[in-house]
Amino acid sequence: MLSLLGGIFLGWSLGANDASNVFGSAVAARMVKFWTAAILASVFVLLGALLEGQAGIETLKGLTPLNPEQAIVCSVAAAVTVTIMTILSLPVSTSQAVVGAILGVALLNQNVNIPGLGKVVACWIGTPVGGIILSIVIYRVLAFFYNRLNINMFQADSLLRLSLIVAGSYGAYALGANNVANVTAVFVGAGELTVFSAVLLGGLSIDLGILTFSRRVMETVGRRLVKLDPFSALVVLLAEAITVHIYTIIGVPVSTSQAVIGAVLGVGIVKGIRTVERRTLINILVGWLLTPAIAAVIALSIYFAMQLRYVPSG
Amino acid sequence: MPKFFFKKQHQVEALIYDYLEYLQTSKKYFSEAINTCLETGVCTDFDFQIRLTHKFESKADDVREKIKELMYGKALLPESRGDIMGLLEDMDEVPRLFELVLHMIKTQKLVIPDFIATDIKELLEISFENCELMIKQVKTLFERAKGIRSLVSTIDFNESRCDHIERGIITKIFDSDLDPFQKLQLKEMVVNMGQISDQTDRISKRVNIISMKRRV
Repeated sequence: MLSLLGGIFLGWSLGANDASNVFGSAVAARMVKFWTAAILASVFVLLGALLEGQAGIETLKGLTPLNPEQAIVCSVAAAVTVTIMTILSLPVSTSQAVVGAILGVALLNQNVNIPGLGKVVACWIGTPVGGIILSIVIYRVLAFFYNRLNINMFQADSLLRLSLIVAGSYGAYALGANNVANVTAVFVGAGELTVFSAVLLGGLSIDLGILTFSRRVMETVGRRLVKLDPFSALVVLLAEAITVHIYTIIGVPVSTSQAVIGAVLGVGIVKGIRTVERRTLINILVGWLLTPAIAAVIALSIYFAMQLRYVPSG
Repeated sequence: MPKFFFKKQHQVEALIYDYLEYLQTSKKYFSEAINTCLETGVCTDFDFQIRLTHKFESKADDVREKIKELMYGKALLPESRGDIMGLLEDMDEVPRLFELVLHMIKTQKLVIPDFIATDIKELLEISFENCELMIKQVKTLFERAKGIRSLVSTIDFNESRCDHIERGIITKIFDSDLDPFQKLQLKEMVVNMGQISDQTDRISKRVNIISMKRRV
């Protein structure tokens, strides 16, 4: 169990941070009570992990063969990277931290699955791009129907609230299905867990993060999304959930935050306004490049440190 | 959409209709009071109507507070909460102006001279028409019926007419032989009467913006 702590910590931090991407706007705007959102998110994250979490695990464990010691190194390195980036207030993707750590160990093993890595990196680039494209399409399609609905202001409000709850639940499902691999895939690769126990443990540790520590993040991150009008917030949420779900089917864990940023940019394109500050984009790019690199260096450092032995002289 | 799903929204909706009803009743008593004053020339003896105007103005206030409480108790989206609060605050100005005019007449013992009585009647009739149109426009907003824009134009047109009449009355007051102090008192009363239509115009434009914002 102790050897799984790094993974559980990653799951906890993922739940605490990323639940805001699915229910943040609804909670920050006081449209949904925190506990309703947290329970819905927990249920759907676990459901997503159990039903569709396997594909991501297969991809990550296929990046390089790992022994149990290396699996622990990867999960601890990813957890340390996420913590450091969070302390530095830089946007961080757990998926990138895990892949970076695996890559560090893979370099050491001199055994990198290049096509597998290529697929993962292509999907990382595709995440914000997918968010942009989907939000443009979803905005146009939904707006076409929404403007033709013969409903009053109160009914429109009720409809949007209900849609935000449904879309948030779907987003939580996609989050669990996609990101559970980040939490426990390395242990499956090392033969320490079966796929079922990995998705169950991963799902539960994400739930732990949601239930214990996501409130403040939901309120602060959510407030940024609330600045969008409710219809745009719904579009962003749907675009993010669908993007992440598509990558779940492809089998690559991606960042929900990057999907959100892409979707917010897409809404800006439709409305002809700037929705994301240039500084935020630069921070994301820096985080995007730094996260895997830092995780790889930390994984290598931990691994070397573990090999050091005290040899008494003479 | 099933009502039990979003009970608070339906409560807010019902309270807004109550609010509009009180606004209409308050306008009715104000109109009766002013007519008594203009027709009988007795402008100091309408306590009953003042009390009724005040009663419905304060009922409207109570309803507004209830709506506020419900909305901040998580009914409606934040954007809608802001829009409705702004709208209610603007609408609240109308009964306040009714009360203000009646109290001015009563406490300052104003006597409306004959040479401006017809003009004042006309000014108030158009203002009342604007109040009715404004209430209709607010109902239209909540019923999503068409026609908000055409109501904006009519209210705007009426408001311009009121401005014109108001200027005419003030000119007549200052051209008259009345005591300068009385002239200032009457001018202040006419300006406040004129503000009723100004306020309905402001509300009408706000309603139009709220309606436009809801198109995506």
